[in-house]
Amino acid sequence: MPSTRTLARRRDGLTSLLMAGPATALYTVMLVVPVGLACYLSLTDWDGYSAQPEVVGAANYADLAGDPALRRAVTVTFLLAAAGTLGLNVLGLGFALLLNGTSRANSFFRMVMFYPHVLSALVVGFLWSAILGTTGAVNSFVTSKGGEVLPFLSDPDWALATMIAVVIWAAFGVNVVLYLAGLQAVPHSLIEAARIDGATRWQAFRHVTLPALGPSVTINLVLSLVTLLKTYDLVVSLTAGGPGGHTQTIAYLILWDSFHDGRLGYGSAQSVVLMLVTALLALAVTRLRRRGEMAVFS
Amino acid sequence: MTLHSEPAAPERAAPAATEAGAGAITPRAPRRTRTGPPGRRRRWLRTGFLTAVAVLMLIPLYVLVVNAFKSQQEILTSPFGLPAGGPDFSYLQKVFENKQFNIMRGYGVTLLFVVCVNVLSIALAGPAAYVIARSAKRRYRALMLFFLAGTFIPSQVLVIPVVYVLKTLGLMGTIRGFVLFETVLTLPFSIFLYAGYIATIPRELDQAAAVDGAGRIRTFWRIIFPLMRPVVATMVILNTFSVWNDFVNPQIILGPGSGLYTVTTGVYAAVSQYQTDYTVVFPTLLVAIAPLLVFFVFMQRHIISGLTAGASKG
Repeated sequence: MPSTRTLARRRDGLTSLLMAGPATALYTVMLVVPVGLACYLSLTDWDGYSAQPEVVGAANYADLAGDPALRRAVTVTFLLAAAGTLGLNVLGLGFALLLNGTSRANSFFRMVMFYPHVLSALVVGFLWSAILGTTGAVNSFVTSKGGEVLPFLSDPDWALATMIAVVIWAAFGVNVVLYLAGLQAVPHSLIEAARIDGATRWQAFRHVTLPALGPSVTINLVLSLVTLLKTYDLVVSLTAGGPGGHTQTIAYLILWDSFHDGRLGYGSAQSVVLMLVTALLALAVTRLRRRGEMAVFS
Repeated sequence: MTLHSEPAAPERAAPAATEAGAGAITPRAPRRTRTGPPGRRRRWLRTGFLTAVAVLMLIPLYVLVVNAFKSQQEILTSPFGLPAGGPDFSYLQKVFENKQFNIMRGYGVTLLFVVCVNVLSIALAGPAAYVIARSAKRRYRALMLFFLAGTFIPSQVLVIPVVYVLKTLGLMGTIRGFVLFETVLTLPFSIFLYAGYIATIPRELDQAAAVDGAGRIRTFWRIIFPLMRPVVATMVILNTFSVWNDFVNPQIILGPGSGLYTVTTGVYAAVSQYQTDYTVVFPTLLVAIAPLLVFFVFMQRHIISGLTAGASKG
């Protein structure tokens, strides 16, 4: 007969199961299973309706290689991610340094830089397309002064540049706040000491503040990169992928191919690749940064 | 992501973010007092520059507000001017009468989703995090890692297979299916944040409750949960905004056929086909964002810290 102690332990185990079970079960069904399913569906020709999708093997992956739309989307996404990550972090760190310190004015400026993040990317895109479109606010103003229409959203290169600028406008406030949090970890006495020893502001920043900010920089870089690689809502509302598909990102193409063209199998193959690339890039940045930090401290 | 590789992260991440958001940044050591002209000029330059940036940031909002009260003709001829002859409220009124998208209903539906997801998320993640934080067993530490892996999966990648799962379960196009999926998306980070926070609460509290005869479920809800208020508030803010602003999931899971619009999918339905009719675009966008912005201005500190804590989950 089990002792009261084993009984109590068994009851404890049961309670634990009761407490953690529902979350685990739901998470497994709706997140873990789908990840596995994405891999399976990527090997099929599922159209979103049939109950029994046919297995087509690696055909979807073979199609990936020869898809010109995908090649263009990859270029667009990487340009957006690279330029965006650079812009977000330069502005984020720059303004964090300017706003470091408590004052009413600083918290006002921080709020003004942060507010676009509260809005949905969809709204941000519609708003900017009403401002920068061919008949938008800026062009109405320019033409009323006798100028030519500026092709912010109607020329492929301009449209991509516009999109990068809007992404940065909408998101750099988050980076400012994250860098401000990181700056709290930099002992002010260190900077004082460097300045007293005759270091210029730039030298103190380069050799004291920046190394101490190492982990913040890593977080910000990875965060911006991962977020930008899955840009979707903004594309829908700002350019709808246009002109002529020249601003389609990978995420846009995945959902377009899947739900507009009914090729969910092919879309799954694209998303499996996107998932892997995102994970690898994030890992690579973390690794590189870590090595960089080691070099600074050794 | 780097946050997750270090076990000490939750304790560190939460307070850091709160501090930044609260603006209650540790008082600075006294600035080197430079009273000479260069110092003053530098300060003026800084203020001037920041003011210019603030104006740049606010111009889109200004354009949105002034043009919501103008006729198409006036928007086209003077896009940056104040409405001549006073604001015309008829365009705003039309937003409320839009047949394609009933915005008040959109607000109702969205609020319902926000409440359901938050309640369900807390009810599921809270106890699970408690068990994980309080158990020394290896299997619960593995469970934490299992949940953590979920923070790396972008939801756009999930939406295709989730459609398959929901169809199999007969939940596609239903409120239940949508709420369950949105809740699952909140679980990994909630559990991560909650477990980290619970670990900082002394175990003596649990033991005292046990001595008084409370079971573990009761101990959690009665003793531990009330102490978790700050971290739960952070998660509620984060989940509220992510459900409110989500576009892909409601658009695909609820679908245009269901007639169920959130504020975000409703804006898409109302605006995307009339993008050059600015008397539709500006008033609709204004009505869609005004409550959020007001909420933001009043709860600025909490929202910034909440959303920033969420941002660092990657």
